[in-house]
Amino acid sequence: MIISAPEEKNTAHPNIWAVAGGKGGVGKSVLTTAIAMTMASQGHRCIMIDADLGGANLHTFLGMSPPKKTISDLFTDPGKNLQDILLTTPFVNLSLISGARAMLNIANLKYLQKEKLIRQVFSLEADYIFIDLGAGSSFNVLDFFIAAHYGLVVITPTPTSIENAYHFLRAAYFRKLRQVIRELKVEALVDSAFGEKEQNRIRSPRELMNELRFRDREASELIEHAMMTFSPGLIVNQVQRKEDNNLGQEIALACKDFLGINITVAGDVRFDDEVLISLKSRQPVLTMFPKSPFIQDVRQIVKKFGMLAEI
Amino acid sequence: MEEEGLKKSFDFFGLPLETSLEEVERAFRKLRTLYSEESLATYSLLEDSDREEKLDLLHYAYDRILQFHQHTAIGGIPPKRGLEPYHNETRIFCIDADYQKKPGLFLQQLRKAWALSLQDVAAHTKVSVYILQSIEEQRLDVLPVHVYLRGFLREFAKMVNVPDTDALIECFLALYKNDEET
Repeated sequence: MIISAPEEKNTAHPNIWAVAGGKGGVGKSVLTTAIAMTMASQGHRCIMIDADLGGANLHTFLGMSPPKKTISDLFTDPGKNLQDILLTTPFVNLSLISGARAMLNIANLKYLQKEKLIRQVFSLEADYIFIDLGAGSSFNVLDFFIAAHYGLVVITPTPTSIENAYHFLRAAYFRKLRQVIRELKVEALVDSAFGEKEQNRIRSPRELMNELRFRDREASELIEHAMMTFSPGLIVNQVQRKEDNNLGQEIALACKDFLGINITVAGDVRFDDEVLISLKSRQPVLTMFPKSPFIQDVRQIVKKFGMLAEI
Repeated sequence: MEEEGLKKSFDFFGLPLETSLEEVERAFRKLRTLYSEESLATYSLLEDSDREEKLDLLHYAYDRILQFHQHTAIGGIPPKRGLEPYHNETRIFCIDADYQKKPGLFLQQLRKAWALSLQDVAAHTKVSVYILQSIEEQRLDVLPVHVYLRGFLREFAKMVNVPDTDALIECFLALYKNDEET
């Protein structure tokens, strides 16, 4: 079951960004922090949400001690909502909602809990909300990712990261497709396309769309139109070698060609020792090394999606 | 029909019909890298059969465009079809390229002496125009691996009737190996 973003998304409501990556350790949290802090420093009211349910640590990236109020409180006390657990940070315009800490089962939210949570995210008072998602392609991660207005996928130039990213993108696409299919009430059509799977071997969104087009042109056009909003941004992090400079563009091309998924390259971020140094000092990179290559690259990304968000 | 095939070939590269050969070649190289087995960008995305199919289509599309450009260059005369092997004919040519240092140029001069186009050789040997051209120009970085290259060289050399095929192949492969090591 999937919850979609409210229709009137570009009015007074916050712009919601979700950051995912499939693989752990690629720099999702450090990038989310740097992006949110950069936006906040430009005068936008920002909230970071640590949605790594079960492994929340975004506060550490901000140099804060483990917070008392976390998402766990919402499940232990049904009277509470997201607004109640909003934490002020040492930085102007930036608030934090901390993820649940080591509570068994919390990584597997029930449908109603998830629906409530996502609805509350959309009603928060802010200009921008950045949701830092956990690794993997679990339904929780996928549902937050496709509910957000914009999704960012972070990868590093390694086969393991790329493998997980493709897996994540496929999974997110099909999750979104399920939602669209249900809204358009064309379940039977899609089931029939999948039903002959053995003969057809549908492996990618592109193959499925071809099959649907063949079966019912009109319905397939509606589906295709609705799926156009699935267009995640890609960040290639920890770029060290010259030959990896084109990786983002290459992946975007391959995604379009083989999966039929449109990806925008949000930008490359250079490998930078200063990130590790600031992490060990438990200080944000932005305040500790404001002129570092890492921050320069983050600024480029912010500049790029700052424009996107105005559309 | 012809025209449609040509348009499809340009479509394959996502380029309009009037695109220059240089630009097509750039696109060709880019895609060939993207769909190669070593490509990081397509790691785990493609199965071997997808990869092979894609590369076949890529070479086909590129050859088709090369042919088109070469036709227009000589005034639209289509290449000769159904060539007979030239082996039973004895002719003496004066080739000034040194087959030890420039085996590619040697092959090219010999081919031209026989008045064969790259398409003629490609049609007969089933080696793609792109590969043949890369052999002639000794573009070692774009040529396929050793085992394939040996076979292609043999086909090419046989077609143009090189006096000592083995010697030429060894010289070419030695250059290729040197290039790999540096």
